[in-house]
Amino acid sequence: MGSIFKKKEANIILVMIVLSILISLRSEAYFSVENFIDIFKSNTVLAILSMGMLMAIITGGIDVSIAATTVAVTVITGKLMVNFDMNIVTVIITAAVCGIILGAINGFFISKFRIPPIVVTLGTLSIYRGLTLFFTNGRWITNIPLWFQDFGDIKPLGLPIQLYFLLGVALLSHIILNYTILGRGIYAIGGNPEATNRVGFKKERIELFIYSYIGFVSGIAAVVHSSIVKMVDPGALSGFEMEVVAAVVLGGANILGGEGSVGGALLGVLMLGIINNGLILARIPTYWQQIIVGFIILAAVSFDVLQRKRIERSMLKIDVE
Amino acid sequence: MGEILEIRNLTKKYPGVLALDKVSFSLNTGEVHALVGENGAGKSTLIKILAGVVKPDAGEIIIEGESVVFSHPLESLQKGIAVTYQDLNLFPNLSIAENIGLSQQIETGKLFINWKNIIQKARDVVNELGVELDVNQKLGYLSIANQQLVAIARAMIHDAKILILDEPTASLAKKDVENLFKAINVLKKKGIAIIFVSHKLDEIFEISDRISVLRNGKYMGTYAVEDVTKEELISYMVGRKVHYKKYEAREAGEVLLEVRNISKRGNYKNISFNLHKGEVLGITGLVGSGRTEVAQTIFGNNLPESGEILLEGKKVDLTSTSKALEYGIGYVPENRQTEGLVLDKSLETNISVTILEELIGKVKTIDKKKTRKTVKKWIEVMGINPPYPEMDVGQFSGGNQQKAVIAKWLARNPKLLIVDEPTSGIDVGAKSEIHSLLRELANDGMGIIVVSSEIPEILAICDRILVMRRGRIVCELKGNEYTQKEILNKAMGVGK
Amino acid sequence: MKKYKHLFIVFIAIFILLSLLSPSRFLSLNNLQTMLAQVPEFGIITLGMMIVILTGGINLSITSASAFSGIMAASFLVKYGHSDFNIFLIILATVIIAILAAIFTGVLNGTIIAYIGVTPIIVTLGTKILLEGICIRFTKGGGISNYPEEFFYLGSGTIFGIPVPFVIFALIVIFLYILLEKTSWGTKVYFIGSNETAANFSGINVRKIKMQVYIISSILSAAAAIIMMSRYNSVKANLGSSYLLQSIAASVLGGTNIAGGKGSVFGTVIAIGIIQIISSGLNILNVNRFITDSIMGLILIVVLLINSFQNNHQLSSLFSFRKKVGS
Repeated sequence: MGSIFKKKEANIILVMIVLSILISLRSEAYFSVENFIDIFKSNTVLAILSMGMLMAIITGGIDVSIAATTVAVTVITGKLMVNFDMNIVTVIITAAVCGIILGAINGFFISKFRIPPIVVTLGTLSIYRGLTLFFTNGRWITNIPLWFQDFGDIKPLGLPIQLYFLLGVALLSHIILNYTILGRGIYAIGGNPEATNRVGFKKERIELFIYSYIGFVSGIAAVVHSSIVKMVDPGALSGFEMEVVAAVVLGGANILGGEGSVGGALLGVLMLGIINNGLILARIPTYWQQIIVGFIILAAVSFDVLQRKRIERSMLKIDVE
Repeated sequence: MGEILEIRNLTKKYPGVLALDKVSFSLNTGEVHALVGENGAGKSTLIKILAGVVKPDAGEIIIEGESVVFSHPLESLQKGIAVTYQDLNLFPNLSIAENIGLSQQIETGKLFINWKNIIQKARDVVNELGVELDVNQKLGYLSIANQQLVAIARAMIHDAKILILDEPTASLAKKDVENLFKAINVLKKKGIAIIFVSHKLDEIFEISDRISVLRNGKYMGTYAVEDVTKEELISYMVGRKVHYKKYEAREAGEVLLEVRNISKRGNYKNISFNLHKGEVLGITGLVGSGRTEVAQTIFGNNLPESGEILLEGKKVDLTSTSKALEYGIGYVPENRQTEGLVLDKSLETNISVTILEELIGKVKTIDKKKTRKTVKKWIEVMGINPPYPEMDVGQFSGGNQQKAVIAKWLARNPKLLIVDEPTSGIDVGAKSEIHSLLRELANDGMGIIVVSSEIPEILAICDRILVMRRGRIVCELKGNEYTQKEILNKAMGVGK
Repeated sequence: MKKYKHLFIVFIAIFILLSLLSPSRFLSLNNLQTMLAQVPEFGIITLGMMIVILTGGINLSITSASAFSGIMAASFLVKYGHSDFNIFLIILATVIIAILAAIFTGVLNGTIIAYIGVTPIIVTLGTKILLEGICIRFTKGGGISNYPEEFFYLGSGTIFGIPVPFVIFALIVIFLYILLEKTSWGTKVYFIGSNETAANFSGINVRKIKMQVYIISSILSAAAAIIMMSRYNSVKANLGSSYLLQSIAASVLGGTNIAGGKGSVFGTVIAIGIIQIISSGLNILNVNRFITDSIMGLILIVVLLINSFQNNHQLSSLFSFRKKVGS
């Protein structure tokens, strides 16, 4: 019973295997290394952002400004790249710093004023998106320097450079969540918010960290996004935050807090990717992707809650003689 | 064995209640010191003061010869006092090892968590306690018993000198109690002083060295376990109560409620009883005896697995609270603040919520004037003070809140009213008012079930008493043929 | 009334400010009519969101449900709207189909939320994605348009100079106001939102009422869908999707507690009005429309900050009181 966590991930893998088999029946191109690399590459932005969203969800929070933050950073770095002499290192640093600032603003309001995360981030979503579109007037930045465009095509060891960013962020998130005291505090908030300060954690600081970290992750995602599409669209990724939430929840994180893992979230992203990619390969209309994903979310969470209720019921309340 | 803790003349007053009245007692290293007393005797106030949650009005706490004042729970912890409450302050989603050792790691101020260290330490402590637990397991899947052991292990890792266990065995099975006692003996050998709060006398006699008795906030004495019998102890706890007027049991009317052999796993087994019109039936027992579970079943909030319930001779289908309401059953829950009332809504809304349909006027909307009139009537009948219907119910005192919960059900004029701990935590005046009211309602023909752990209360107002123990009815007492002591004996499983 | 006094003052202040800044254009009949015509679709969706938030939930599927209802209705209308049947019966049937589709989505959400017990945010996210897929399935990514002439009356007609959509909106506002604040059902909704456990122990059928709330929320989204269909002569799978997060923002701005239990229909209506006059006003003043979005977000956060200070004040007084009573 203690390993329901891993069982959850096993369930996700099971669903993916079934899906994969179904898809491969209709498409021979599906089971190939290239195709899987392709699935990963086209979903790196989703995957990177899911690493940040995961942390908010583990504490029982959410960040719906995550996509707006990412786009804001793509615009800032895009403009800087066009107008100043920059290199990839300075671009990444600027992106990370801008992201952290935007995220810390969320963190400040959430931790200091105890305003529910969904409402704060809803507000900043409008602010960030509005400002981004205002300063660009909605116009695309298409004259991205060549060196940056080339950077997006690098394939060290045969793998797209974007995957290394994902790997870095995933590893960092995994280490934070599992090997730092702060990370355990993140889980602690989700498990028993009232008791976190009583055992010595500083809840406010942890929350400030989380939303700043989401900003950081958004900054990295911004660089990756620009490197893939090779231009900047200030109106991009609209509504993408919901897809990120869906991936994290599909990956077994509990929206009420306390549960979730980097591995699970990545599996959730992969599942979305496989469904999307597979349906295209199998020449099934893409709307089936949404129908299937929506159905899987509803079925998975319902199943999860029913199971939990059963376990609760079976736990002995009174030792009846 | 030296003295580690001394309490001198500790006094704590709440409005209308003297919770602790110049209580003094002392605790030695390596002893298990039981603290006994009825509900409301002042045990929990004493514990809260020691834990730094509540500040005393007067008196002194001396730890190892040094007088201390706690203004925060962490200060108490730093002085070596660890408390495991019913609510254990644990994290269900973290591993056992983390729950045990995390706060120690936080104190180091380091960035990384030392998993090896945390697991090793947790293992050591758990082994020392003599229990078999996989420390990598998630806490949430442990039984309450094992969670308690984890809380104790956490206290050990903090080098607690004094460990306070508040009703640790209330909901434990026999074999879990044995494990707990094994652990307690380990702590004892290490020289840790333990304050053991419990209602279960067998267990107290099994594990304690000394027993201190509290009664109505007063210290009644400390006895070495070999110098006192259970019967003596109960008489010290009970003493003479003067403030409850005893009612004469009356002839019962026709049968109102028939509970036939209902059972539910982990709740209760083979429960059968009748309730007559105009009768006040008491259900008592210790915490975890199943009394509240039975009460909630009758209110449609806890579906039994087998058996049936009849109301006025007809089988009723109690699958939801709204059905119970339609059948004319009312329920005053144990916790008025979280279950009985919606604190941020007005007194008027809270009282009228059960009778909304009756307050509907011509155009299907709620008739404000009628509502106000009805609510005012109940405020007056119940003597709710201040009599302001618009005031948020959360701003009233405990006694007035309780009156509001009762009022909301009386407004509905139920055939059967179940009251769960109707007077817990409210002052003596309000208590006796509520008692008289319940009697009056019965006189007018309502069937009333009083669920209470306060035996004097049950004795004062009930015509008949069911005593529950471990999910079963152990005896039914009629008329005036019983005393408080006898009932307590039955509930605790003492004697025949 | 005093509950939303502040909000009303803000509304009046902004209204006067805009009137002073651009009296000829802001106060023109044309602008006033345009505002009245624009408010309803967003306003109705916001009320649908607000009623769910009152129970402590959230409805992320509200705009997808709107699109779903619209697409079902439009499919029917396009097929039979140009036939020989009585056109008014056809329009009536179209509306009924939209409502039936809404009941379907409401029951789907309600069953999983109220009876299985899954958190609303996730359930409605799931139904949002599911419904979007179904919508694209029916529209093939395009739009369904070409409705009969008579149908446009619902979106573009006027009654005594008042746009028909606004009349529909006003009727819905009055209906919801009575339902939520004057009937026993409404009282129960507030009770559930404040404290579900206590509501259950008061004999309220919590599940049934939550189910009804999600159905009503969907039906409101269907009403908005009909208006949008008629105004734009087209439905697409993303019909009204930009209103999703805005409707949450407007609800909260109107004083609805995101945790449930508190909020009023008129407060929400004033918030909708504020958002409408700001966006129209800034538009007239030639303020960039993107900056308008930012200003909305800023207003939301500022209002919440003020609320937060007020609540903290209340909270601390509550605690000190409890200490006094000692329970």
